[in-house]
Amino acid sequence: MNDKLKNIISKQNEQQQEGKIDHSEDIVQLVGFVIGEEEYAIPILAIQEIIKPFPWTRVPQVPKYVVGVFNMRGAVIPLIDLRLKFGLPHKKQDDETRFIVMRHGDDIAGFVIDRLTMAIRIKKTDIGPAPETISGDDTAIDGVGKQEDRIITILKVNKLLKRDF
Amino acid sequence: MDEFQEILQDFLVESFELIEQLDQDLVELENTPEDLELLNGIFRVAHTIKGASSFLNFDVLTRLTHHMEDVLNKARHGELLITPDVMDVILESIDLMKALLNTIRDTSADGGIDIAACIVKLDKVAGGNKNAETPAVQEEAPVEKVEEDDIDYDSMGPDELEAEIERLLQERQAEDKAKRQAKIAAGEEVLSLDPEPASSEPASSKPEVVSTPAPASVTPAAAPAKSKSTPSSDTQAAPPAKKATVEQTIRVDVKRLDHLMNLIGELVLAKNRLIKINDDVEERYEGEEFLEELNQVVSIVSLVTTDLQIAVMKTRMLPIGKVFNKFPRMIRDLTRELNKKIELEIFGEDTELDKSIVEEVGDPLVHIIRNSCDHGIEIPSVRAEQGKSETGTIKLKAYNEGNQIVIQIDDDGKGLDAEMLKEKCIQKEMITEKEADNMSDKEAFGLIFKPGFSTAAAVTNVSGRGVGMDVVKTNIEKVNGIIDIDSEFGHGTSIKLKIPLTLAIIQALLVGVQEEHYAIPLASVLETVRISKDEIYTVEGRSVMRLREEVLSLVHIGDIFEVERILDASEHAYVVVLGLGTSKLGLIVDTLVGQEEIVIKSLGEYLKGIKGVAGATIRGDGGVTLIVDVVALMEIAKNVKSTALIDAAVNESSTNEKTKASDYAIMIIDDSSTDRMIMRKALEPIGVTLVEANDGQEALNILKQGNINFDALLIDIEMPRMDGYTLATEIKKYNRYKNLPLIAVTSRTGKSDRMRGVESGMVEYITKPYSSDYLSSVVQRNIKFKSEFL
Repeated sequence: MNDKLKNIISKQNEQQQEGKIDHSEDIVQLVGFVIGEEEYAIPILAIQEIIKPFPWTRVPQVPKYVVGVFNMRGAVIPLIDLRLKFGLPHKKQDDETRFIVMRHGDDIAGFVIDRLTMAIRIKKTDIGPAPETISGDDTAIDGVGKQEDRIITILKVNKLLKRDF
Repeated sequence: MDEFQEILQDFLVESFELIEQLDQDLVELENTPEDLELLNGIFRVAHTIKGASSFLNFDVLTRLTHHMEDVLNKARHGELLITPDVMDVILESIDLMKALLNTIRDTSADGGIDIAACIVKLDKVAGGNKNAETPAVQEEAPVEKVEEDDIDYDSMGPDELEAEIERLLQERQAEDKAKRQAKIAAGEEVLSLDPEPASSEPASSKPEVVSTPAPASVTPAAAPAKSKSTPSSDTQAAPPAKKATVEQTIRVDVKRLDHLMNLIGELVLAKNRLIKINDDVEERYEGEEFLEELNQVVSIVSLVTTDLQIAVMKTRMLPIGKVFNKFPRMIRDLTRELNKKIELEIFGEDTELDKSIVEEVGDPLVHIIRNSCDHGIEIPSVRAEQGKSETGTIKLKAYNEGNQIVIQIDDDGKGLDAEMLKEKCIQKEMITEKEADNMSDKEAFGLIFKPGFSTAAAVTNVSGRGVGMDVVKTNIEKVNGIIDIDSEFGHGTSIKLKIPLTLAIIQALLVGVQEEHYAIPLASVLETVRISKDEIYTVEGRSVMRLREEVLSLVHIGDIFEVERILDASEHAYVVVLGLGTSKLGLIVDTLVGQEEIVIKSLGEYLKGIKGVAGATIRGDGGVTLIVDVVALMEIAKNVKSTALIDAAVNESSTNEKTKASDYAIMIIDDSSTDRMIMRKALEPIGVTLVEANDGQEALNILKQGNINFDALLIDIEMPRMDGYTLATEIKKYNRYKNLPLIAVTSRTGKSDRMRGVESGMVEYITKPYSSDYLSSVVQRNIKFKSEFL
């Protein structure tokens, strides 16, 4: 019994140590999601929560991509459809649709995405700058992450949360 | 440093409170210069501020208050009669004091304000009066003397006076001694009595010290030392006495109260939700025993929440007197400036209002009262000519009326001349002649609140720069208030400000348009009317209706909030009559949902500034409902062209060109999967697209999503949740589905069943059992199936 326990504890310690190595500075943790055909990602720390879609209320006099506001445990939060924001056609919400609630400072909003992919750990050195043609102050793209066989566009949360109408 | 800041903060809060009281006291004092109690109070304020400011090293402030104290001290001792001129100087010094305190608040230092001139004036009043005002002292002295005894102190010389004081003291000590002995004799303990003579001695000896600079006239104050030495001369002893009552209150940071209010807001929302759930449970488990218990708990929670909310709201309440206090002073200054005689009567200063609102109503009231003084009340000679009393009266009243507080300002001046107002506005091109002709007197009175309006022929220092009354309107509208103005030419004007009690939690009228709900603050709702569509007229592209004697312009809520009209509008509509400031507007809505208590929540940074939306609230069902910003709505309504009742939504679905068999879509609605299967089997051969639904509710949801344009619906009648008849009735409410063929497929064969089917809008009635060919042919006929696809 005692040996077993020791084993478990030592294993856990090992794991923790492994984790520590992973936590070192040049690893970035992201959450990946898909909008249309593309895979995007945002830093995991910018995410307040990820929820299944539920009813919202339309708000007048806003661009189409601001679909409305919804109630998240007593707070009224704007809901933005990233498909529409990125100029893609509207798509019905389905089983895989999620709302990602992102926060940056005091700004907070929910974003409709087509589906989640996974939590991603990526080395900083594997993140390249946004292509020159779309870089600049206006772009919402922070950089491009390369992982094995795919390319992930990393978005700037503060830009997404900024009102641009 | 922090500690200093804290002390400073306390000092400022206290000082501002004291000064507020001071203004009012001083004006009252001018009317009753003999009121020693009042004078002492004023003196104490100056003294307290002086003491605190010297402690905090505010030299300028200390110097100023010191000189004020001198003057007040003299007045207090009867050396100085408070004449209007003296009062002017004192009031001036108080204004300086306020300015200094403001500077301290902003910069933590008391520089930058020149007090030298005022100090000279104060000294002049204090010093110069010694001789000039002696008669006044005599005038006052008898008042004091009568209270005490018959000895004429004024005729005594300084030495005699000292002797007299000595004599009185001894007399008193002897008395005390006698009392003590009497008590000892009665067997009481001496010890407990000891402190009394000990404290009475310094108290009664103090006048001697004070008397040295002004020996001649201290006596009237000193003599009553026996009975009221503490209030009249001992300034040190007085504050503790006052504090005993003040300590009943605690100063709390407003932020904490705001936080508390927010929490209560959450609780109110949760309560609303609980009530809704309770209703649902009641419906589903009718007759169950636990229901009663649940009911009780819910009602207790809701009761306590309401009480709690009121209690917390009350902590934020301030008496409106806080605002009213500054007006006696203002009126006094204005009367002197304008050479008019005006009396201000204040009623209901105890009426309480939310702090944030109290702060908002101050400015509007200043402007209204200034306006009344300047334009309303005539100069005495004119008043006399018209047979009015020379002194004009302005009445300031505050009282509760339902969920609102009403502040009423009445003057008995010359009143408003509707024709003159109109003419003036036409001249300034603020309105057209046509508009002027259509205006009622009341609407014309409202013109004075328009920006850029000023009725005074000459611009005076007091008013007439054309900003004042505009501010009134803006500020009152900001707190969702209503202005009601009434006037009789030649007899006076009455302005009523109706203001909601609080801003955070409000009563709202919930209205529906199509499938959306909106909340309108009930304070802005004057009434609701149900009208038929023929009652709506169009004038110059705008909808209007006749409401009793008035013509009310109308706007459809859907036009303001860009609501898509899918549902068929019925013959009737509801008009919510909104009143704000002085304007009115009729808002057409589809349904009235009811009244509910709502908590205002902000839409946040991302969505701020949406015109027409004041915020959002969370409803009992957890959904979000937008709150209408009535101010903005009235603004928007001006520019909205009425499409109010134009039949929208042309049925497009039926005109879609069909190019292949699968372009036809049919929904099969039946709760039995076997039945659905039979229908499917019958229809599959012709190649149409088939969608299945379990019951009416599901079918309706599929329709609402609107992804597929259905060409026909096959509906079973008996289904759980929503039966076929109800479904058909619901579907026919939608404009775009008006012509959608609904085919009943049922085993009910009764005549009455058939009739019901027709009534609810079914075009065909197929009775089970049926042959697949029959079903197929009926469907094909109804969807106008092109035979070439077969």
